[in-house]
Amino acid sequence: MSLQRMLVVARKELTHITRDMRLFVLVTLAPAFLLITLSYVFALDVERVDIGVQNRDNTSLSRELVSHITADGDFVVVAWLGPSQRIEPLFTRGKADMVLVIPRGFAKTVLDGDSAPVQCVVDGVDAVAASQSIAILEGRVNAFVAKVARSRGGLGAEALAGTRVLEVKDRAWYNKALKSLMSIVPGLLAVVLSMPALALALALAKEKERGSLESLIVTPVRGSEYLGGKLLTYVVSGVVSGMLAWAVATFWFGVPFRGGLVEFLLLTADYVVASMGISLLVATFVRNQQTAMFLVLMIFFIPSFFLSGLLRPVADEPIARAFAYALPSTHFITISRALFLKGVGLAALSGPALALLAIGLVCQGFSLRLFDKKLT
Amino acid sequence: MILRIRNLVWKEFIQLRRDWVMAAFILTLPVLQLILLASATTSSIDDLSVAVVDRDRSSVSRRVVTSLGNREELEIQYVPATLEQARHLLDDGATILAVVIREGFSAALERPSETAAVQLIADGSNDLVADIALGAARAALVDLAGEEAGLPPRAHASPIELRTTVRYNPTFDVKVFTVPAQVGFIVYQVTLTVASIGLARERELGTLEQLIVMPLSRLELVVGKAIPALIVGMLNFALMVVVAIFGFGIPMRGSLMLLIGLTLVFVAVQIGYGIFISGIAHTQQQAILLVFVLAMVDMAFSGYLVPIKNLPMVLQTFAEVAPLRHYLTILRGVMLKGADLSALWQHAVAMGVTGLLVVALAVRNLSRSLD
Repeated sequence: MSLQRMLVVARKELTHITRDMRLFVLVTLAPAFLLITLSYVFALDVERVDIGVQNRDNTSLSRELVSHITADGDFVVVAWLGPSQRIEPLFTRGKADMVLVIPRGFAKTVLDGDSAPVQCVVDGVDAVAASQSIAILEGRVNAFVAKVARSRGGLGAEALAGTRVLEVKDRAWYNKALKSLMSIVPGLLAVVLSMPALALALALAKEKERGSLESLIVTPVRGSEYLGGKLLTYVVSGVVSGMLAWAVATFWFGVPFRGGLVEFLLLTADYVVASMGISLLVATFVRNQQTAMFLVLMIFFIPSFFLSGLLRPVADEPIARAFAYALPSTHFITISRALFLKGVGLAALSGPALALLAIGLVCQGFSLRLFDKKLT
Repeated sequence: MILRIRNLVWKEFIQLRRDWVMAAFILTLPVLQLILLASATTSSIDDLSVAVVDRDRSSVSRRVVTSLGNREELEIQYVPATLEQARHLLDDGATILAVVIREGFSAALERPSETAAVQLIADGSNDLVADIALGAARAALVDLAGEEAGLPPRAHASPIELRTTVRYNPTFDVKVFTVPAQVGFIVYQVTLTVASIGLARERELGTLEQLIVMPLSRLELVVGKAIPALIVGMLNFALMVVVAIFGFGIPMRGSLMLLIGLTLVFVAVQIGYGIFISGIAHTQQQAILLVFVLAMVDMAFSGYLVPIKNLPMVLQTFAEVAPLRHYLTILRGVMLKGADLSALWQHAVAMGVTGLLVVALAVRNLSRSLD
């Protein structure tokens, strides 16, 4: 293996990228652009619940209940239903998440000291959101009962006077206000940085598809030098777009960066090498760019959103778990969040860092062997 | 005209058959992905790792620990002796929540004048997970406090009784939501992949020139390229729906014909996007990277990961243009809620209008780039 020949291939590859302005932009700037767009979408702390209200009682107490529930804008009344109107269309049209039905005689029952049933019909399709909304609604109804009890006396006030003996103090470290933006930006950074790896898979598949690989075979460049040279260029461009994405995270979004920049660069390179290992492996098996793209999209990219712990933690289900740990993005999400928010050193990150290294070495070793065989 | 289009379609299928690796992938990978993602995203978030620093070591503090461990969401995995060790566990990501019970906790509980405090420290680097862990721990402690104070849990009748009825999904089954969404994503990926490459590939390999000299109009060329993608997309859709219904037990409450019809519209719109990209890109590499950027943005605006109504107004308008968002609403509406066209027509129209615009742009663009 000659370093000089490898560098020649690297320079050829660099020319390919820089000569094609659009490609250059897509490879280097796209991750930063995506990070900005996606972060705004994912980093939402407000959860709005749209409700429909059917107030069959129509007294000041029942109106008070509704305005108490909707006071802070988390619950928004999108429809007032007449007493005989059907609830169903609100759900099939996706207009409301939940409908409250306040029965006739509600105020009288409550003031008599009896228990008045308020019907709450929920669209359960999004189970997680639905159960959260119900819990919040229950809390608000209880708070309303307490408020009414306080202002009017009686009304089961004795039940609410339970003594507080135990105090819970809670705190969140690393992200004190628990802002989504702080945790989503470093996570997304890992996902968008898979773009350079895709570009490498395409560059390789392209040579095969066009037949220019044949002409490279007759040159004295060997398989390992060829792959090494290509890899070098794309790893460098990956690290450069990593730096851009880092700058976007820190300067645009103001995510604190508590770790070391050197560690970040080192581990970004580690991640880029691992993800490029996967794309090299893909590229050695396929014969054209379309297949390469389809494979990368299906086995690397989309699973990165759902399996890697970006939003929900890595699943317990064994196959999904195994797949998640084979994905480089799973490990880099951990690394990126730890470096930005926790400010830990390399020692605390040795697990994911070594996992990335292992993925990179295995995939690249494997594809190098397969590739050498094909060339001879 | 029909004959010419048919010949072009035939050529595309011969190419696809020759490339049997791709053909095999198109038919098998989506099913595998559906199974993998559905099984990964359907389990509820539970057994989050908790570290308890119990400095009190009394029977009460042990009850605190037990009540935390009894919550489904939490699992006590570490019992470090000091706060410093707990900090390391949080730093390493080994634990999500540290619970600290100080010395004198049980003594403080005995004296009404003092309050006994339990400290919860969550790893905020994933805010969603931190919220769940804190919420579960708080609920466990409040229940315990009630028991300790001798209040039987919820024995008293509240003046307002909330009676909850859950429609469409009474058991709160998460997969009912995630599986149809994944079906939509997969149909989206497959059609866009197949459609976006076509022209860019011909141009890159120089065969576009040959197609131009043939007696084919631009429209015929676009239609001929679109039909194979349409067939592949619909085939995939059929496969996905079968897996969703028979493999995952997702109900089909609405009309299958309506869903097929609207899927046709969606697939056609995606093909329009694909051909548009294919037309503006000079090489396949460009086309593919553009598709990726588009796919990421589309996914973000699809309403699956983040509900659309929570977005700021500007982004909501933007989301209206994304066909995937409408299609997911349609899929969910027809399969789970049994919605009919009268409930869904707005989404169908929105999709169709975007589609027509994109196709018109694609044909116009193509004619320019051919000259």
